[in-house]
Amino acid sequence: MPPVIDLNECIGCGKCVDVCSEDVFFGTKDFGKSIEHKPVVTYPEVCWHCNLCVKACPVAGAIRLRIPLAMSVAYKDGPLGNS
Amino acid sequence: MKIETVDADVLCIGGGIAGLMAAIRASELGARVVVVEKGSIGYSGAARMGNDHFWAYVPEAHGPDMRAFIKECMLTQLGPMCSTLSSRVVDTWMERSLEIVKLWEEWGIEMKYQGQWEFAGHSFPGHAMTHLKYSGHNQNIVLLDEARKRGAVAMDRVMAFELLGGAGRVTGALGIDTREDRLVEFQARSVILCTGSTRRLFLGVTPALIGNDTRPFTLTGDGRAMAYRLGAELVGMEMLARHVGNRYFVRSGQGTWIGVFRDPYGRPLGPYVAEPSRRYGDITPEVDKSLFARVMESGGGPVYMDCSGISDEDYEYMRHWLVQEGSAPLLNHLSEEGIDPRKHPIEFMSYNFASIGYIRCNEKGETSVRGLYSAGDESTFGISGAAIFGWVAAENAAAYVGESAAPAFDGENARTEEKKRLIETLQNRMDGTDWKDANIALQQVMSDYAGPVRSAPMLEAGLSHVRRLREKARNTLRAENRWELTRCVEVLNLYDLAELVFVAALERRESRGFHQRADYRMTDPLLNDQVLIVRNVDGKPTATWREKER
Ligand code: SF4
Ligand code: SF4
Repeated sequence: MPPVIDLNECIGCGKCVDVCSEDVFFGTKDFGKSIEHKPVVTYPEVCWHCNLCVKACPVAGAIRLRIPLAMSVAYKDGPLGNS
Repeated sequence: MKIETVDADVLCIGGGIAGLMAAIRASELGARVVVVEKGSIGYSGAARMGNDHFWAYVPEAHGPDMRAFIKECMLTQLGPMCSTLSSRVVDTWMERSLEIVKLWEEWGIEMKYQGQWEFAGHSFPGHAMTHLKYSGHNQNIVLLDEARKRGAVAMDRVMAFELLGGAGRVTGALGIDTREDRLVEFQARSVILCTGSTRRLFLGVTPALIGNDTRPFTLTGDGRAMAYRLGAELVGMEMLARHVGNRYFVRSGQGTWIGVFRDPYGRPLGPYVAEPSRRYGDITPEVDKSLFARVMESGGGPVYMDCSGISDEDYEYMRHWLVQEGSAPLLNHLSEEGIDPRKHPIEFMSYNFASIGYIRCNEKGETSVRGLYSAGDESTFGISGAAIFGWVAAENAAAYVGESAAPAFDGENARTEEKKRLIETLQNRMDGTDWKDANIALQQVMSDYAGPVRSAPMLEAGLSHVRRLREKARNTLRAENRWELTRCVEVLNLYDLAELVFVAALERRESRGFHQRADYRMTDPLLNDQVLIVRNVDGKPTATWREKER
């Protein structure tokens, strides 16, 4: 479930924690104000998948969204009219 | 718990488009402004990811006849969403739209496309185009900067949850810090409510993923609930709305797609377009937002958005606007899954019902309580409405502050103390109901008893159950931490709104729009120009009919 943080890449800057209005990262120690305090994903089920945490992150690849299976887009693997 | 006092001339509650526009305007008119936001200001509200459509009357594009333009707007989704608004509200909205568009352009939100006004999507072929295309991906940040430049104070992570005042006048609000142990008492001469739409009252598409919604999870109609408790009039609480979008990644933005809605055999579902049209889109689902649900339920589905045959240029155009509109996460998902909309028709669906009752306002953004204003999705609809009425409400709030005597705060202590006790009780209970249980209990009863099928016995049964649940929730809710505390307070607001939905739905003894009464199947033409007002009379919700103002 979203978001996913690569703790090896993350520098603990807290930007993702700052921007999330749903406070999905609630409980991150000092809300990421210290470089030591890497974000924890506490309430993933309320994530809006707005991507703002990913956009705010200064390190490429440190954070990404994993779209839950329940939100996978349904589609047809080919043109219509041939069913 | 410590109590902190914050003083302001104008308090804007909610830091989305309406709240920020209100903060900008009230500040530049000389008021001391605080804007309080329960999330992260600049990154909150329904518009935080962006948008690409703005209702705007641009005489050089539409000609001098504003009435004709409004008439066209009312044929689109604006019609049902605005059925409770007076025509003076709609006139003000459209009269002032271009002024706001120009300000946004000046501040750095691109309102033109390649140097020109561009109108596209959400339109009937051959008709006037009502939706201005714009690049809204940065809008919240731009507005926050403008508000700060003018001296407005932005307060993050505080949820205002109760208005202070009495005798028909507002004097401030109470807020809880969503992260720390703090209660904030705002003493304000005027309050502008800008808290957005009401989610989490009805079950969503994916009940277990409560955030899978067209609007963010944190929008819980707090402004409506607070306004109601203070005595302001709400309108249309019985009415429902639904959106249409792709299945199952719930998003707005259907009007940005370029393609044709078709059945599995490739037949268009609507009469408007047979080939993809960059200019018009396919307006079919806006005419009937339940169409796709009925097609699916009757075995004629699935329904697809078919972009096949679209030119490369149009495809890039669509992707450009989907990004502006806030659908970048969806586009990322499609590319990760190898889904190419030109080759893979994407399923669309009618999303679940949501509540749309409004705080009743006049064309100045004034509510029925002195000093209390409202703007945005809690009193109009969409980004354009939020921008324009945020601005207009602030002008009138600033004038009110200039003219009125400072309110006395005596007598507020009792309310502050009572609410402080409530918060402490929620925090200190050792054992009890968690917010999610209380929220789901509410959503299931709303969807079962106040959804698209209604009757007096069902509504009465639902109302009794909701009242019992609310009593239990009040007596047992428990918060593990500040995050949960915020959710508990939201859920209590939702219970208050739920009661109003039932009371109003019982009073509307007819069928209209998505309010379908099995015991009153006809639409009563005698109610065409009436609105249903709900108000708190001595602690009891009371519904009354009133002639709709011109
Ligand atoms: S995607 Fe949005 S809602 Fe989800 S964690 Fe990131 S900022 Fe928060
Ligand atoms: S923004 Fe990126 S680097 Fe900073 S704390 Fe979040 S994941 Fe780590």
